[in-house]
Amino acid sequence: MFKDLDPILHSQLRLAVMSLLLSVKEAEFTFLKEKTNATAGNLSVQIQKLKEAGYIDVVKQFKDNYPQTICKITPEGVKAFDVYVKNLQTYLAK
Amino acid sequence: MNEENFDPKQSLLLIESMINRAKDKFAEDGSMYLLWGWVVFVCSLTQFVLMHFFKYPYHYIVWFASWIIVIYQLVYIRKKIKRRRVRTYTGYILGYVWLTFVIVIFLLAFLIGRLTEGDYYIHISPILLTIYGIPIFLSGIILRFKPLVVGGIGCWILSIAAMLIDNYDYQFLLIPLAMIIAWIIPGYLLRAKYKLQSQ
Repeated sequence: MFKDLDPILHSQLRLAVMSLLLSVKEAEFTFLKEKTNATAGNLSVQIQKLKEAGYIDVVKQFKDNYPQTICKITPEGVKAFDVYVKNLQTYLAK
Repeated sequence: MNEENFDPKQSLLLIESMINRAKDKFAEDGSMYLLWGWVVFVCSLTQFVLMHFFKYPYHYIVWFASWIIVIYQLVYIRKKIKRRRVRTYTGYILGYVWLTFVIVIFLLAFLIGRLTEGDYYIHISPILLTIYGIPIFLSGIILRFKPLVVGGIGCWILSIAAMLIDNYDYQFLLIPLAMIIAWIIPGYLLRAKYKLQSQ
């Protein structure tokens, strides 16, 4: 149906993650999980897909012996998001 | 979240709601403004009393107390960073605004004696008031919090007012006054806003 829409972004959870990361400098996995109400398993799969597309950077590190995943949007991610929103607008204008 | 069948309208709504959710926490609870506002208020007033009424030559010694507060502040910031799960642009920029302020104040402490050839007390009050206004004004703009903007402008007005006061000791009294209008009052207002929001 929506052929021109980036399939990576046209998915509720991935789009939610991208929208959150667009508004902040960087966020921890737990923050994204809380805001999207997603399960940890599903969220990490979608984050992996966004990472593979080059839309986000994922840094895994240890803080006080606990693993910590920090996500951050990349310039390519911002560009893709911008194109996606523009395409949405043309669909809505039709 | 449902992955299938979601149309452009829903997409836009989702984007909007997520952007709002990322921003829904007002990050500043005002504690830093209150802590430093009161510390500088008490120290500057004590210094004035020692200087004016007791003619104590080492009146600036009261400022050594602020070193204890600096240590406390560093521990507090470390704790806050540990608890932080998200880094906002607002917080990031504000951090650097305050770092710049601290650097300028330290540079000034070293430079003012030489720049003014020892007569630093003639210039110190208006210069300090001008500099105090900068981070307060910028914080107000960045946080979109009017009392801080007003407080910052208030500091600058006081720096001009200092020129009209001939007695340098009395000029010095403008510093605790600036603390009240620029740090302490906005600090309590920030705290009230933060509490209201976290309810």
